[in-house]
Amino acid sequence: MNRLTGKADSLEEWLNELRSRPEFMRHVTHWETIPAREAVYAPLPRGLHPKLEAALRAKGIDRLYSHQASAFEAVRAGRNIVAVTPTASGKTLCYNLPVLQSLLEDPSGRALYMFPTKALAQDQVAELQQLVELMEADIKTHTYDGDTPPTVRQAIRNAGHIVVTNPDMLHAAILPHHTKWVRLFENLRFVVLDELHAYRGVFGSHVANVIRRLRRICRFYGSNPLFLCASATIANPGEHAERLIGDKVQVIDNNGAPSGEKHFIFYNPPVVNPQLGIRKSSVLETQRIAAMLLRQSVQTIVFARSRVRVEILLTYLQDAIRQLPGGKQIRGYRGGYLPKQRREIERGLRNGEILGVVSTNALELGIDIGQLRACVINGYPGTIASTWQQSGRAGRRHGTSVTILVASSNPLDQYVIRNPDFFFNRPPERALIHPDNLLILIDHVKCAAYELPFEKGETFGGERLEDMLEFLVEEQVLHRVKDRWYWMAQSFPANNISLRSAAQENFVIIDITNGSRVIGEVDRFSAPTLIHEEAIYIHEGVQYQVEKLDYHEKKAYVREVNVDYFTDANLAVELKVLHVDREAESGGIVRQFGEVAVNARPTIFKKIRLRTHENIGSGPIHLPEEELHTSGYWFSFSEETAARLGANAMQSALLGIANVLIHIAPLYLMCDPLDIRVYPQVKSVHMKRPTIYFYDRYPGGIGLAERLFELHDELIEEAKRLIRGCTCLSGCPACVGPIEEVGLLGKSQALQLLEEAAVTAP
Amino acid sequence: MSSLRERMNRLRGTRAPEGLDEPGRGGPERNEAAEPPGPAWTALGVTRLANDAGECLVRRVVYPLDYRHGHHRLGELGECAGALAALCSGGEGDAPAPEAERILFLDLETTGLGVGAGNVPFMAGIAYFEGDGYVIEQALIRHPAEERAMLEHLRGRLRNRPYLATYNGRTFDWPLLRSRFILNGFGRDAPVEPWHLDFLHPSRSIWRNTLASLRLSHVEEERLGIARGDDVPGSMAPAIYFRYLRDGDPAPLADVFRHNELDMLSLACLSIRFGRLLSGGLGRHVPLPEEEEELLRTGLWLERMGRTDEAEALYETLAGRETAGDWCLLLAARDKKCGNWRRAVLLWQRAAQAAERQGWASGEAHIELSMYYEHRAKDYELALRYASAALELATRRATLGRFDAKRRAEQEAIRRRIERLAKKAERTLAREQTLF
Repeated sequence: MNRLTGKADSLEEWLNELRSRPEFMRHVTHWETIPAREAVYAPLPRGLHPKLEAALRAKGIDRLYSHQASAFEAVRAGRNIVAVTPTASGKTLCYNLPVLQSLLEDPSGRALYMFPTKALAQDQVAELQQLVELMEADIKTHTYDGDTPPTVRQAIRNAGHIVVTNPDMLHAAILPHHTKWVRLFENLRFVVLDELHAYRGVFGSHVANVIRRLRRICRFYGSNPLFLCASATIANPGEHAERLIGDKVQVIDNNGAPSGEKHFIFYNPPVVNPQLGIRKSSVLETQRIAAMLLRQSVQTIVFARSRVRVEILLTYLQDAIRQLPGGKQIRGYRGGYLPKQRREIERGLRNGEILGVVSTNALELGIDIGQLRACVINGYPGTIASTWQQSGRAGRRHGTSVTILVASSNPLDQYVIRNPDFFFNRPPERALIHPDNLLILIDHVKCAAYELPFEKGETFGGERLEDMLEFLVEEQVLHRVKDRWYWMAQSFPANNISLRSAAQENFVIIDITNGSRVIGEVDRFSAPTLIHEEAIYIHEGVQYQVEKLDYHEKKAYVREVNVDYFTDANLAVELKVLHVDREAESGGIVRQFGEVAVNARPTIFKKIRLRTHENIGSGPIHLPEEELHTSGYWFSFSEETAARLGANAMQSALLGIANVLIHIAPLYLMCDPLDIRVYPQVKSVHMKRPTIYFYDRYPGGIGLAERLFELHDELIEEAKRLIRGCTCLSGCPACVGPIEEVGLLGKSQALQLLEEAAVTAP
Repeated sequence: MSSLRERMNRLRGTRAPEGLDEPGRGGPERNEAAEPPGPAWTALGVTRLANDAGECLVRRVVYPLDYRHGHHRLGELGECAGALAALCSGGEGDAPAPEAERILFLDLETTGLGVGAGNVPFMAGIAYFEGDGYVIEQALIRHPAEERAMLEHLRGRLRNRPYLATYNGRTFDWPLLRSRFILNGFGRDAPVEPWHLDFLHPSRSIWRNTLASLRLSHVEEERLGIARGDDVPGSMAPAIYFRYLRDGDPAPLADVFRHNELDMLSLACLSIRFGRLLSGGLGRHVPLPEEEEELLRTGLWLERMGRTDEAEALYETLAGRETAGDWCLLLAARDKKCGNWRRAVLLWQRAAQAAERQGWASGEAHIELSMYYEHRAKDYELALRYASAALELATRRATLGRFDAKRRAEQEAIRRRIERLAKKAERTLAREQTLF
């Protein structure tokens, strides 16, 4: 330690110093040291093409990691694979090796690479091209996306050996024009899908259908490609890959890559009000810890849950550290930034000009930002998988790294921070997709029919294909002749179908402080609560107030302001059950799964003072109601139980249980907490009993509520455990909610209700 | 089935679309294969066309060679088809001189736009010269399953006709057909790419600034002397076809047949028009264009087609005219490239005078003259004078219109030119003085 500057000589020394500080360690609930891992090697495979071998050796690769060798072997044996290994474990060689080997053996072959974003695709091509150059082979690799100039498109279609694209492009440009890609489809040997975990939820459900269409086109041209996938760690990589590609897949998870020592610290901010169970703000604690690291000149990434939090944290951090050594910067990074800005930030991280970055999960994906040394996570990211993924941003093959998870006071965070076993010893979540969501499926049946007429006996997804085709005949887009269905409409269906549900309907944000300039965008679902009129929108640490929201044109006009509060909006929700698909009873509770209609309307917004987070005012929001038809799962308590508890108690108990459940539900689902919503009703219109509803926030549902229906018993048990285990007196934000919301007896009433239900079970 | 519709309506939050209670289907199914077309079809003049790939319908019309359509008589093509070789593009190798009988004329009517896999040609209008007539054959599919037979027919007609005459066929009709052959499983039996006679390209070269639109119906009306009368626009054709698919009544298709037939006739006339132009017929078979712009574009096009003497004659005609316009600069640019400085200077001077008279025109001609006198004639005094005049014009323009970055850069460039010229002129003057 340098006495003058207070600066540690190494991260190891700083961590030791940290360990000796009781005022810090008092709040550490767990300190996991993951020892360095030795590499497990395998020799370069026999029969590896001499050019490929020479290229690898030129890159200093004389042997493979075990997982790379296994992948090579499996693909050579003709099997689909999914490689599941951590960040920076050399995953790309798992698919590049067998693909390049095959192309060297037979240059007429073709491969299609797909990445979820354009940026990732470009990183990949650079890496592939470098390897190809070293091989001195004539293997042409090209990206084919919206930025590809029309003049080179034809050459790529005919001569590109490896075409690197994204699902959106495959969906809207390649498949509908497959007759221009005869060479590719006739000779397609491999389809590479990287970042498989990103294809989940609505997006994943769409992508699974695009792959169904791809396979259909391949069949037409007589090819049958292997699928080589790679994924971050999830609980069900094999199952997820199989659902996505509709075929058997071999999981490759024998990770042989080395890693340096890693420290994983769980930090729970101190309780400031023991009665109410209120803790010190996780944002302030995150800022303090990140600032300590940055002052040590440790390159650090800070993850925050929401775009707003990213901006708040960035502001606080920039305030706290006015000057960084060597003119280095602290930057923000999130979805709403323009692509050029993002590329610049990625570059700055790689070359070290940027010492600190505050990001949403946007940087969780494999975008190349190099490997940082420290990661501070503000609030549990919602899933074990993405926590590991974020933590993987810090850590190199050699040398120490540290991740500090700072819990917020929400119940999920509190649960995880106090039950480190849950995190360290439980498999991460399952990636869920629901490719047979009727709306999604029908959209892709249309696209598929445009691409090739359907024939009797074909299948496409889980619904009866003939029913869907006849429906589309009635809609006058298909025409049936005997046993075939033909596309017969003037339109081009792929144009009206976006794989990323909200992407096409983003609201743009226009700063009118000086002239007008677009500073960012917000997806349609977030718009009512983020950019309603008078909302404070924070971008790159600058506050803007929304002056006008043009709902139809999807534009928000904002002006720069300087105020000491941010805004938070409320939604009023109404729910109707349309159809019951499944029903079950256990532990005195009847539960159902089916279709529901939800009407949501933003009502008021609150102004919340920065730093103290006190409520300093509110105002109405005038925006149209949105109707959503989706899947739901709900359960009711018996009338006896209701009678025993009384109406008032029932109200608080239901609310308390709903609060607990909605926070732990994401533990079991790989989804954004906002993807699943909860709605308690004391006297449900449908069930005539006290009921708690959950629903997917996407038309037609994406399988979340259904999964919860299946997990019901486990969910209820976990809720009881959590309420019992909470140290608060009578309810806190970490369990049933604050007493202002659920009342003084809320906690005991919620527990009582759950226990009563079990007692009255038949 | 109904349950799927109900579910869809619920998810979409809509009621069943109105007017769809009785789904119209089966119209075409009444026309079972092998049955002769019914009276409604006979009224359209169609007959059955059967081949190895199935069957569809075809309407055949033969025009005698002395039939006159607008300015031209169909038989004229026999006299000038060979000259069209210069227009050929695509295909393999250099095209030999075509004979009229070896050209296939083609125009597709399709269900949508673009060349995506779901855009289906429902009518293939083809035509060719045979014996004493111009034979138009319009194949129509009663439903998409008949497309194969239509394509097979087309393939047969292409067999001895390696030239394909179209209007925009190189980018639309042919790529679409190629895609259809693939989709219908023709594989290696699909026809090879023909030599294209795509008349959109020369039309664009010649008329891009003289005609308001380059749609075939507009071009033929303005330049081929053809009036279509109450023709349905081509963009209506898909809707008419879809209606037929729904209700099975072929009567409204008569309009589509008629429209397509007129297109086929116009294609023949366009081929004659360009054939005449390419075989020295300008002024004899094709009237000399009135507007200088068109005259010049015709010359430039002829020059590109290798008919330099005729082009030169046109340029001389133009240079002899009293008027001035944008065409002066265009021709001068051509002359500058070919080293014909005498005429270029003449044209620039004419354009410069016109610009000075107008007062708001650009100083482009002045700049060209300034460059000419600076670099070729080495007369810096004169070069300086033209450059100053250009600056004056530019300044005057600036006060009249928007003054943007581009104009500012223009002015800056002129100022630099003037400075440079002033120095050169001074030096020359000094040298002359020392000489004496």
